[in-house]
Amino acid sequence: MKKFSAVPKAWLLFFPFLLIGWVLVGSASLWASGGGGGAYSFPEMAGWEQSGEIQTFSRTNLYDYIDGGADLYLKYDFQELKVAEYRNNQKASVTIEVYRHKTPVHAFGIYSQERLDNASYIEVGAQGYSEKGVLNFLTADCYVKMSSVDVGPEEQAVLLAFAKKLVDNWGGKGSLPLILSSFPRAGKKKNSEKFIAREFLGYSFFHSGFTTDYELAGRKFKLFLIEGTDPKDCRKMIQEYLKHTGNLQDKVEEGRYQLQDPYHGGMDFYWQGVYIWGALDLADETLRSQVLKLFAEGLAKKK
Amino acid sequence: MVDKGMDRREFIKATAAGCGGFFFLSANEIKPEETTGKKPKEKKFIYRILGKTGIKLPVISMGVMNSSNPNLVRAALNSGMVLLDTATTYQRGTNEKMIGEVIRERPRNSYVLATKAHPPTDRSTGLYTKEATEEDFQKKIDASLKNLGLDYIDIYHHHGVSVRESALHEPVLKALEKAKKAGKIRFIGISTHKNEPEVIRAAVDSKFYDVILTTYNFKQQHQAQIREGIARAAAAGMGVIVMKAMGGVQLQERAEIPVEPVPALKWVLQDSNVHTIIAGFTTFDQMNLDLSVMEDPALTRSEKAHLQWAAFQTGLYCQGCGQCLQQCPEKLPIPDLMRAYMYVYGYRNLSHSQDLLLSLNLPPRMCGDCAECLVKCSIGFNVSRKIRDVIRLRDVPAEFIA
Repeated sequence: MKKFSAVPKAWLLFFPFLLIGWVLVGSASLWASGGGGGAYSFPEMAGWEQSGEIQTFSRTNLYDYIDGGADLYLKYDFQELKVAEYRNNQKASVTIEVYRHKTPVHAFGIYSQERLDNASYIEVGAQGYSEKGVLNFLTADCYVKMSSVDVGPEEQAVLLAFAKKLVDNWGGKGSLPLILSSFPRAGKKKNSEKFIAREFLGYSFFHSGFTTDYELAGRKFKLFLIEGTDPKDCRKMIQEYLKHTGNLQDKVEEGRYQLQDPYHGGMDFYWQGVYIWGALDLADETLRSQVLKLFAEGLAKKK
Repeated sequence: MVDKGMDRREFIKATAAGCGGFFFLSANEIKPEETTGKKPKEKKFIYRILGKTGIKLPVISMGVMNSSNPNLVRAALNSGMVLLDTATTYQRGTNEKMIGEVIRERPRNSYVLATKAHPPTDRSTGLYTKEATEEDFQKKIDASLKNLGLDYIDIYHHHGVSVRESALHEPVLKALEKAKKAGKIRFIGISTHKNEPEVIRAAVDSKFYDVILTTYNFKQQHQAQIREGIARAAAAGMGVIVMKAMGGVQLQERAEIPVEPVPALKWVLQDSNVHTIIAGFTTFDQMNLDLSVMEDPALTRSEKAHLQWAAFQTGLYCQGCGQCLQQCPEKLPIPDLMRAYMYVYGYRNLSHSQDLLLSLNLPPRMCGDCAECLVKCSIGFNVSRKIRDVIRLRDVPAEFIA
């Protein structure tokens, strides 16, 4: 083995740390910009003091904080978690967990996996909801989960005050993914939109997609939307899908596809440009055609 | 508690059992399996009995945790899987609700449902906080019943236990006992993915639990102790379910090269004390691979070779065997230095790494006097290169790092 130089050049010594520093600064700025440009910090609240150090968890040790739950967060391109605890002189506590994801859509994805349809929704960040001792919300690329212990009857007001201050600190609340507005409104079940970050519909070649639940004319069904990176990407996905379902075609063109999926049953979907949209669990062909047409109109407005 | 470091004898025992002898059990060392029933597509699956519960399960079950796709759950049940595993906390109860949608279409005796919850815990000690009351746990059981739309749950696990005291926490045990008496749950389980040997031991000694659910995989440092615990549990008549047979997504992502799922699952099933594995597949293709294991869990020669190779692809994680300590003429604390390296390059936690380096009372000149490094790391780390890289952090002013 080569003998190490006892006095290496200074720049050689510091270069790896400059590099690591650059990475860390880079991630810090991502954090800030994701939140709307303001520097990230936990807020100061009258009557409350931060208790202990702010804990930070990365992709490599998120498991230490949420055990097996980490697996799903990692699938949603989790980047970093910061946890702060506040206490007041009555020994009540508020814990704030800020999960930062790679993009606002990924943050929405994990938020959408965990939000409850029957929760009481509130105006905070892009969207939030509360239940006893809990307030969760989405803001830009962060999913924020707050909980309180022994705060008493004021707990919802206290949690909301913390939440609003956090959003103000960021300087921007963000929004739900704009593409969701292209889903037809009629029959849409409120707050049922989901973003699946990987292996959409149980197929690895479909990378990611959105789904929304519907109830229309007494029928429950789902609509879905896959956004490809470009038309080639969509063609490749459809080719793979056709191959998997035994419907291999030489030429795959934009248009409508109706086929039998071994796991999902009847599948009816369209491909145009970077979008693939379709219906699941909807046997009524007339209704299916109507909603898919409405969906196409919604997507056309996006262009 | 599980020892963070292992002495050489323990390490050799663990690796010999895990990567040597365990892989190469001869046919007559493996207990005969029961192959019953022709499932769809004429498949013959391997079944095992879940201890004294008497429940007969195929060796692979579905861990539903990472899926929100009801058609995947339907496909798993249609293909012959029987046990579905979930938890109150998975997607804040929506995972249970999604399963509830699927199972309400099916006869109650056509599937086995396991779910779980963990009481409020002090993360630093693994002990429960004062909020871990009987009432709190009862509410969790009732919430699961409601989410799933069931009158009873087949197996309810006291979840995520990491210390003996928590395994025996009386308010939780009382809640479980009452729920069992009330017919809300059929069998009581305990799950652990940290400090598993201690928890399993406590569970066996308590004679309270019917089933254990534990992490167990070919990459674990302390797999020998877990295997011993599993053997004790099975001998005591407990059902044994394994999770994280591949180490979970987290370990997968940390690893430089991903683990092949089929050999990893088969490795676990070589242990006949394991009754079923909950596999967390999220695609139909992954499910079909797992179904192939249900038909034939025997490891092929190439699968054995893959596991032996993969067992040593440890990424940044020093196994702490301590062999290097005798080899280094400078008597450097190499496992600690490897940990410091992991903090920087794995966790990007420079200050933690620097604190560790400064606490080690290292000589000012490191590795400078050796023309050739005599350390041969048991898992193939280039020890001198890692030391050379990380030790520079010692001289960086702290204010540049914090």
